[in-house]
Amino acid sequence: MASNPMQQFSVYKIGPQIKIAGVDLSFTNASLFMVISASIILLFLFVGTKEKKIIPDKIQLIAEMFYSFVAKMISDTAGSKAKPYFPFIFSLFMFVLFCNMVGMLPYSFTVTSHIIVTLIMALFIFIAVTIIGFAKHGFKYLSIFVPNGVPAVLLPLITVIEIISYLSRPVSLSVRLFANMMAGHTMLKVFGGFVISLGLLGGWLPLSFSVALTGLEILVAFLQAYVFAILTCIYLNDALNLHH
Amino acid sequence: MRSYFSLVIATLVINTDLFAAEAGMPQLDPKYWASQAFWLILIFTILYISIAKFYLPKIKNNLDDRENKIKDDVDDANKFKELSESKFKEYEKILADAKKEVIKIQMDSKNILDKDIQSKKEAMEKEIENEISKAQKEINELKRNSLIDIQNISENITSSIIENISGDKLKESSIKAAVEDVSKKKIGEYL
Repeated sequence: MASNPMQQFSVYKIGPQIKIAGVDLSFTNASLFMVISASIILLFLFVGTKEKKIIPDKIQLIAEMFYSFVAKMISDTAGSKAKPYFPFIFSLFMFVLFCNMVGMLPYSFTVTSHIIVTLIMALFIFIAVTIIGFAKHGFKYLSIFVPNGVPAVLLPLITVIEIISYLSRPVSLSVRLFANMMAGHTMLKVFGGFVISLGLLGGWLPLSFSVALTGLEILVAFLQAYVFAILTCIYLNDALNLHH
Repeated sequence: MRSYFSLVIATLVINTDLFAAEAGMPQLDPKYWASQAFWLILIFTILYISIAKFYLPKIKNNLDDRENKIKDDVDDANKFKELSESKFKEYEKILADAKKEVIKIQMDSKNILDKDIQSKKEAMEKEIENEISKAQKEINELKRNSLIDIQNISENITSSIIENISGDKLKESSIKAAVEDVSKKKIGEYL
């Protein structure tokens, strides 16, 4: 079991089987780590907002930094029209970030390393953005596929490319996060396996790789949460401020 | 870097046959997809609602409060700065006025003193002149008196000398004339 680097991604149910209308909705280790990540976020925000201090303590300061970080990200990429979507982007960023970070703990499970999880988030964003676009601009929203200033000869080709790129957004968004998390954790596991198999004499080199990779993976965990959130902002910007 | 690692993984995979049929990628096993989707939506909805309804407004309020407090404090500080500047100007004005007054008082007292000194000096000079002229008069009187005295004495001496030498007693008037004649010639050398 220990030698299989993909073993860490397997999902198994915890507790009784829950079946609703013939669909297995059992509570699994993936669900458990979603609960853990969400609980950490809520606990962190609870402690961070418990006391309203003019001069904040550390936790409050970090909570406020997250707030200003996401607020700045949204206003920079999507402008002031995106303000109503701030809570969603903030929740999304925090959820992805904390799932990634909790996954960095040994013996834990990385929720975001599952394509189904990232795909559902990406599809939700894609559908929501499309609905917002049509709600705000009606059929004019379709002009997103026709960039300005393109020669008439190239226009059909460009339009087809634009449509494909638009439709591939949920795929690229979900696969990016899923593949990054999976690859990183697989590599960590592989190098961990090397340490064991090479023993006391040869295990030091892969161990140092493991240490370096852990640092890199923490960076990737943050970066991918950031990328996920900022791409959502960019898609939202396309839907809110229709221009090219 | 990445490609190197993937090479390592690839070799490892090929050599040890880790991707055995029963292992595979657990992500692609649809057995728990519905469960994961269900729990994800449930948990994320709860997270979203509690963040949107409770925590973000709290953080926003706190940030706004702080911003207002800072703004108020900065305004207060500016007000106090202006106040202190105007006070300082007032102080400088008072200081300048006081300096002017000092100079004026100095000038006035100097003028008064000068006048006083001048008048006293003049009075003194007058007095000194008076004294001098008085003294001069006295000296002149004394001179004249002493001249007469000297003449008398000289007459007496002359008459007694002549008496002693010749035994004759000359007339006083002639002696007097002679003495006067000599003294007139010689008096200039003594006075």
